[in-house]
Amino acid sequence: MNESIYILNILLPVLYLTVLIVYGYDFLNEKRFLYNSKRLFLFLTLLIHLIFLLLRTVEFDHPPITTKFEIFSVLAFAIGFSYFVLELLTDVRGTGAFIILFSLIFQTVSSFFIEHNYIVPEVLRNRLLGLHVISALLGYSGITISAVYGLLFIQLYRNLKENKFGIIFNRLPSLEVLEKLSFKSAVIGFVLLTIAITIGIIWLPQAFPNFSYFDPKLVSTAFVWIIYGAGISAKFLTNWYGKKVIIFSLGGFVAAMVSLVLTTFLSSTFHSFY
Amino acid sequence: MNIFGITINHRTAPIELREALYLSKNETIDLINKLKSDLFTEGFVLSTCNRTEVFGFPQKNLLDYNQLIKILLDFKKVNGLTADNFEKFFSCGAVRHIFSVASGIDSMITGDSQVLAQTKEAFEISEDLNFAGTIMRRIFDFAVKAGKRAIKETAIGEGAVTVSYAAVQVIEKIFSSLEKKSALVIGAGETGEIAAANLKDKGVGKLAISNRTLSKAEALAEKVHGEIVPFQFLKEHIHNFDIILSATSAEGLILNFDDIQKMMRMRKNTPVVLMDIAVPRDIDPEVKKIENVFYHDMDSLKIIVDKNIQKRKNEIPQVKKIIMEELINFFSWYNTLEIVPAIKSLREFFEEIRIDELNKIKHKICEEDFIKLEDMTRRMMGRLLHNPTIKLRELAETGTNIQEVATRSAILKELFNLNNFDNNNNIQNGKS
Repeated sequence: MNESIYILNILLPVLYLTVLIVYGYDFLNEKRFLYNSKRLFLFLTLLIHLIFLLLRTVEFDHPPITTKFEIFSVLAFAIGFSYFVLELLTDVRGTGAFIILFSLIFQTVSSFFIEHNYIVPEVLRNRLLGLHVISALLGYSGITISAVYGLLFIQLYRNLKENKFGIIFNRLPSLEVLEKLSFKSAVIGFVLLTIAITIGIIWLPQAFPNFSYFDPKLVSTAFVWIIYGAGISAKFLTNWYGKKVIIFSLGGFVAAMVSLVLTTFLSSTFHSFY
Repeated sequence: MNIFGITINHRTAPIELREALYLSKNETIDLINKLKSDLFTEGFVLSTCNRTEVFGFPQKNLLDYNQLIKILLDFKKVNGLTADNFEKFFSCGAVRHIFSVASGIDSMITGDSQVLAQTKEAFEISEDLNFAGTIMRRIFDFAVKAGKRAIKETAIGEGAVTVSYAAVQVIEKIFSSLEKKSALVIGAGETGEIAAANLKDKGVGKLAISNRTLSKAEALAEKVHGEIVPFQFLKEHIHNFDIILSATSAEGLILNFDDIQKMMRMRKNTPVVLMDIAVPRDIDPEVKKIENVFYHDMDSLKIIVDKNIQKRKNEIPQVKKIIMEELINFFSWYNTLEIVPAIKSLREFFEEIRIDELNKIKHKICEEDFIKLEDMTRRMMGRLLHNPTIKLRELAETGTNIQEVATRSAILKELFNLNNFDNNNNIQNGKS
């Protein structure tokens, strides 16, 4: 089984790259034969990724959420899967390349650095941890997708204002659709992040004796949560449209990524389990 | 194949002449009756405001373009129209041209979506008037097939190629659905009318018309089932509309920067599309600087139209490939027409010999042996003729060179003296 895990670990970035190329090629060339088949490529990649995650769970006797590179792989899957569901629900097919790019980045980093022999500390075998991590990862997928649609909205908005009727104009859905997709993804991401934070606040003080509410990870996550909360409230309360809401989404995403990088690689935090 | 015909189109004559030559349905019917009596055994007439096509098979083996042009010009007298204004086509070139017309690559606006329906209609009139024989019907079938394939397999008909449609294309890039949107058309002239009709076709939720002359606004509003916004109160109502399309012939601006800024405040900055398709412009172009105001004028819409026309032109080689495939299919069928009578004669010739020889021994053998012999000779003839029949059919179906088929057919007839055999048979049949 170990051998299968190694092979799939190498194969996954290649598969995501293939999906990215197929989606990118279709976006640039609008080839009819890829219109339906690209979705099949993505489905097969996600299926193989799921098998990989299940094999790891069985082989190493823990869900793959206990090291940062395991988490990166789950995040790559969550982003790809969220996009797949979104594409099925909305039938907006022209934006896949921009989102799959993030799956490719996270999976490539994961595949390079993931460890295959790791002893899991007892504290990480808690069920609440599973819920905490999964809701956080899905939340991050939501805000990533929201940011991508936000960027596409701004690009199309500019193109329309400047009378540029090129590939962006031809291939992207309408501004209204992009705005809705960005906002809905942000709302889903925000709700899931709220769940993750709530579980974290309940479970972390019990699990870690050195827990602190002023930990950099907690502070930065709260900051991200406040940005999204403010943007979503403003949209609901004042009926904001377009760029104003999108700026909150993009700002929140940048803050989330900076927080992820800083707390994972640079600062010292109790929130580092590995 | 001796089909021939003439066409007048955007390459050969200016719009005034093309329009003057346009034949209504009744005129087309009258012309077909004239052609049937004087020139053609079968054919068709296609006439639109942009082109007139007359094609057919001559009654005698004489391809007289001048007579055809004379019949047409005598029928519809148009000053200034001469023989030089017509393109002439013959045989394979004629069929190829008909296919090109049906697939839209011969139209002034490449990929014109209406021409296929117009071609179908022209074919139907021919059918109704018994002006379409076996060959003409086949040409119709293959022409329509080529036209349908061009639309389905290429992008020849995609993208807006008129300013009105380009405006709708831009609107659809801003709003996901027009059903919940309201639109105001300022100006009830021809452009305004087309724009209003396009918006209505696209299912816009609410449509209103405003025009300096109220009666014109009322007439257009009635046509498109729209409301009326009195022109003098225009500025007080514009904030109620998500789409404003202006197409008046006013000399100065109708809506200035301050009007739009005020409108946006009243709309709480929700997006609005301003389509200024008037020349000179009706709306101050500076308004495009206001957030969530999507302002487009003729120049910007023309960019879309030009791009789409170029895109369609890029599809022409692909459509020509389809036309060539359908030409091959058509001529594969057509070539079998030459060979089928030859095969039939050959088989009849052998069958007659067989029956003749069987008759000679019919009374010399018992009935049981005769049945066996008859069965055996039938099988023998079948085996002997199987290969030549198949080879001849293959030659006809795969080759496009009708001359080759005719030569083989002639050799066959000469070798077995089938011409005399056919003549004798015809005489006997005539007697009986």
